[in-house]
Amino acid sequence: MARTEQQSNEKYSGRWFWRYASPATFYPLAGTLEKICWIIAAVLTVIGLYLGLLRAPVDAQQGEVYRVIFIHVPAAWMAMVLYMAMAFWCFTGLVLGTRLSFIMSHAIAPTGALMTVVALVTGSLWGRPAWGTYWVWDAKLTSFLILFFLYVGYMALAAAFDDKKKGDRASALIALVGAVNVPIIYFSTVWWNSLHQGPSVARAGGPSMAASMLAPMLILTFAFWAYCIAAVMHRVRTKIIERERDAAWLAEAVK
Amino acid sequence: MSLRRATGAVFRRELQLFAKRKSDWANPLVFFLIVCALFPFAVGSESERLKLMGIGVIFVGALLAAMLSLPRLFDEDSRDGSLELMLTSTEPLAMLILARVAALSLALGLALAAVTPLFAVFYSLPFDVSAMLALTVLMAVPTLLLIGAIAAALLVSARGGAILTAVLVLPLTIPTLIFGAGAALKVFYGESPVAELALQGAFMLLALALCPLAAAAALKISTD
Repeated sequence: MARTEQQSNEKYSGRWFWRYASPATFYPLAGTLEKICWIIAAVLTVIGLYLGLLRAPVDAQQGEVYRVIFIHVPAAWMAMVLYMAMAFWCFTGLVLGTRLSFIMSHAIAPTGALMTVVALVTGSLWGRPAWGTYWVWDAKLTSFLILFFLYVGYMALAAAFDDKKKGDRASALIALVGAVNVPIIYFSTVWWNSLHQGPSVARAGGPSMAASMLAPMLILTFAFWAYCIAAVMHRVRTKIIERERDAAWLAEAVK
Repeated sequence: MSLRRATGAVFRRELQLFAKRKSDWANPLVFFLIVCALFPFAVGSESERLKLMGIGVIFVGALLAAMLSLPRLFDEDSRDGSLELMLTSTEPLAMLILARVAALSLALGLALAAVTPLFAVFYSLPFDVSAMLALTVLMAVPTLLLIGAIAAALLVSARGGAILTAVLVLPLTIPTLIFGAGAALKVFYGESPVAELALQGAFMLLALALCPLAAAAALKISTD
């Protein structure tokens, strides 16, 4: 086993990118990435929260409550980005049949689901003071709820097969079906609201953001990116250990 | 065997099975009836409230009833071996799946649409609203079965199929739910339902174009 890994690594040595499609070469890289990203995430979170919670001015219309935005918006962005990343790895896995692709998509899903929950919970906590209610059936909230269902469906389907390979491919297919549906669902909920003439929610858009507010949000967005990469890399490493437990290179790597 | 004969044979076989096995069409209808009868107990019998609720309840009830029939698409065939025959056929699998779904949609869609105006009486809906509801149910059943065929195909060999089908399929049917019930609501308010009908039709056609291909890929994965 170790020999074949090594041979294939030599075969692809000219193309650095493909080399990392092999769990054996990606495992140490994931470890390095994980460490770097934990550090970046920790530093940026401290800076971002300091600027956001202590330094940024109080909002003229909403008072202190608006500070939820510093968590809410990065989480919402990550929830969407991670779904796209997950669908991308599912597609790669189905087309190229690479082992690592499915490991990546499985590793991304729980973090993506977590980000969706964070976005929904912080959103509803923000909604109570800003709109007067924890929940409105607005297009954004509704489609985030559905995004959460898609993450859950993906993970549930992956777990439903005794044969891991079958579970990989089956859940990858459902992730792609979901990816096609996300924009359709989003636009139907937009039209749903405009067609039903529901109670229009006073959206706290206001003037465009001041720089002192925008900076912490961007810093925290990078912090969330780093956290998500670190968490995904950690899970990738765990999954590699789980799946390749009989491989000789692994015994070397985790010694 | 030509493609037309093959799909024709699959289509006819599905209809015959549907007609022979009474539980296949009776159970969804009874389920639909019970769902529609339960809601008034929960929300009260006041007729104005029931009218507004009724449109949604009937539509969701029809979707759930159709979803209950999804396992019969492939499960039994996988047990008695006819699924293997379908997989080894030289005809494109997507077309054979489409023929099956078309037959089931026709039978189940007509059955559910036929009882919809009847159940609408429970909610004292006016005739034009219940007629529109029957039409949108008739359009929603194929959409749900097409999307559901993907999940049903994936879950042929998985554990805990029934619940998982619901988790996978129902979120994806939200567009058809919005526009199907929306069209009936528009009629209820005396407005034109054309926009909703057009969008529901568009969604159905999109499902018609993409879902058989995805379901064929799914079936190949799960029976691999």
